Amino acid sequence: MHAIEVKNLTKRFGDILALDKVSFTVEVGEVFGYLGPNGAGKTTTIRILTGITTPTEGSATVFGSDIVRETIKARRQMGIVYETSNVYDDLSAWQNIMFAGELYNVGKRDREIRGKELLELFGLWERRATRVHGFSKGMKRRLTLAMGLINNPQLLFLDEPTSGLDVQSNLIIRDVLHDLTDRKVTVFLTTHNIEEANITCDRVAIINRGRIAAIDSPERLKKTIQSVQSVEVAFENGSTEALADLERLPMVSEAKKEGDKVRLYTEDPGSLLKEIMAYADTHHNRLVSATTLGPTLEDVFIRLTGLERRMKGGGRSE
Amino acid sequence: MNEEWRKDQLSAEAVAAWAIAKKDITIYYLKPNIIVAGLLFPLFMFLAFAAGKNVALGILIPGLISVTILFSSSTIEPVSIPIERRTKTFERLLSAPVSLHAIVIGESLSGFMYSIGIALFPIILGLIVFNTAIPSPLQLIAGILLTALCFSTMGTLFAAYPTESPGDIMSMLNLVRLPLIFVSGTFIPLNVMPPIGKVISLLSPLTYGNDLIQGAYGQPSFFHPFLDVSMLVLFFIIFQFIAHWLYKRFND
Repeated sequence: MHAIEVKNLTKRFGDILALDKVSFTVEVGEVFGYLGPNGAGKTTTIRILTGITTPTEGSATVFGSDIVRETIKARRQMGIVYETSNVYDDLSAWQNIMFAGELYNVGKRDREIRGKELLELFGLWERRATRVHGFSKGMKRRLTLAMGLINNPQLLFLDEPTSGLDVQSNLIIRDVLHDLTDRKVTVFLTTHNIEEANITCDRVAIINRGRIAAIDSPERLKKTIQSVQSVEVAFENGSTEALADLERLPMVSEAKKEGDKVRLYTEDPGSLLKEIMAYADTHHNRLVSATTLGPTLEDVFIRLTGLERRMKGGGRSE
Repeated sequence: MNEEWRKDQLSAEAVAAWAIAKKDITIYYLKPNIIVAGLLFPLFMFLAFAAGKNVALGILIPGLISVTILFSSSTIEPVSIPIERRTKTFERLLSAPVSLHAIVIGESLSGFMYSIGIALFPIILGLIVFNTAIPSPLQLIAGILLTALCFSTMGTLFAAYPTESPGDIMSMLNLVRLPLIFVSGTFIPLNVMPPIGKVISLLSPLTYGNDLIQGAYGQPSFFHPFLDVSMLVLFFIIFQFIAHWLYKRFND
C-alpha cells in the first residue's frame, strides 16, 4: 500500500485550472518534496490531500483511504503543519498542545505524556505555562510542529517548515525530521528552500502551472540537466570587472556574482577554465580559487519551471 | 465501516466539539467586543424600550431575557471565526479528523453557554428588583436552552461567510437580529401587531422562544408550548444544516 496515491487529480476554480491531471505516489517512510513556484498548485494539492478541498476530477488515497469518501479515516493518520504557525496566541503552549490532542482524539493520559515529551523535544517545556503571544517566531514554529505530532501520525504534511527561522529552531526541526524518517514516518514536504529539499528528500516532485514537471530523486533530477555546469571563480582584485568581461565569452551561457565570487554557467567547463586563466594573466588579477560545479536542484527547478534567473551582469536567462 | 469505529468516531466528535467550545470560552468570553455586543447592547435596548412605556418594568423581563439570549448567543462565533481565519487557526479545525457538524456544534456551544450565563442577569434582576414570579420554571429553562441553541447556531451560520473581519459578519447579522426584536413579540406584543407583522413573526425563531419564556412568567402565550418547542428544534436543525453546507461550500 502507498502512503499517498494521487491519480489524475484536477481542480478548477471557475475558469482557473489549479491542478491538471496530477498523478504521483508517495511510499511509506519516504520523505517526499513538493516544489513549485508560487501559484503552481502546491497549496491546492495539500488542501485536497488533507480533505479540506474536494477535487473536481481524479482521486487521492491516504494509506488506502479515499480522501473524499473516507476523509476522517484518512485524517486520523495525518499530522499537518501549515506554513503559517497557526497557534492560539491567547492560550499557553500547554493549552495549545492539549487542544490539538483533543481534536485528534488522543486520550487524556496519552496526550499529557506525549505533550510533555514533545514540548521537551522542541525546547518549550520550561515555557509551557506562558501565553504563546510572547513567543518568538521560531518558538511558535516549533510549537506548531509539536501540535502536528501529538497524534503520532504516520504521515506528516510539512508546509515550509523552516522558512525564515533562527538557527536554533532550524536545527531542532531538522533533528526531529531525521528522527521521524528513522521511525519510518512518511513526510510530505513543501518548501521554497530547494537546498533543504535536496538534503532532506528521498524524491521530489516539481509542479508548475498545475502540472507535474518531474518526479525523481534529487540526484537523478540533477543528472537530467548535466549541460548546466558552472565554474565558480574568485579573483584577488575583486570580481565586478571580471564578471563584465567573462560573461561575454562565447561558451558562457549565464553569469552571476555570488558574494566575492563569480559563477559562470557553461557546457564546456574545460575551455572556460583556460579562458579564465588567460583573463587572470592579461589583467594581472590573480585567481584566488576556481571550482567546477555540477547542476544543483535549484538549476533543475529553474529549468523545469521556466523561471528566469536574474543575473548580476544585467541580463536574464531562462 | 464497523460499529466499533462508528462509536469511537462519535466519541471523538463529542470530545472535539467540547474542546472547541472550551477553547472559545478561554479565549473570547472576556473580549471587550463580546461583552459590549452580548451584554451591554441588549441591556441598553431594554432601557430604551422601558423608558417609553407606561407599564410595570417587571412585565418586560421575559422580553429582556429573549433579547439578551438573541444577542449574547449569536455574538461569539461572528467574532471568533473571522479572527481565527485571519490567524489561520480555523484551518486547524477544518483539517481535524472530525465532521463539519462537530465543528459547527463546538463553535455554537460556546455561544450557547455564554448566553445561558448572561440570561441569569435579567432573571435575577426580575426576581430581586421587580419581584417577578416564575410560575413555570421548567418552561423557562426549556425556553432559554432552546432559544440559546437556536441563535448560537445562527451565529455560527453567519460566521461561515468567508471574511477575516468580524465587522463584516456583525453588520450582516445585525440586519437580521435588529428586525427580529420588533417582529417577535419581545417588547411589542404579537396581539397588537398588524396582520402582516403577525405573519412575519411566524418566520422568526425568536417569536417561539419569547412565547415560551413569556408563558413561563405567566404572561399570555400566543402558541402552545409544544409548538414553540417544536419550532425552535426545527429552526435549530435548519440552521445546523445550512451552516454545515455553507462551511463546506466556502472552504472548497
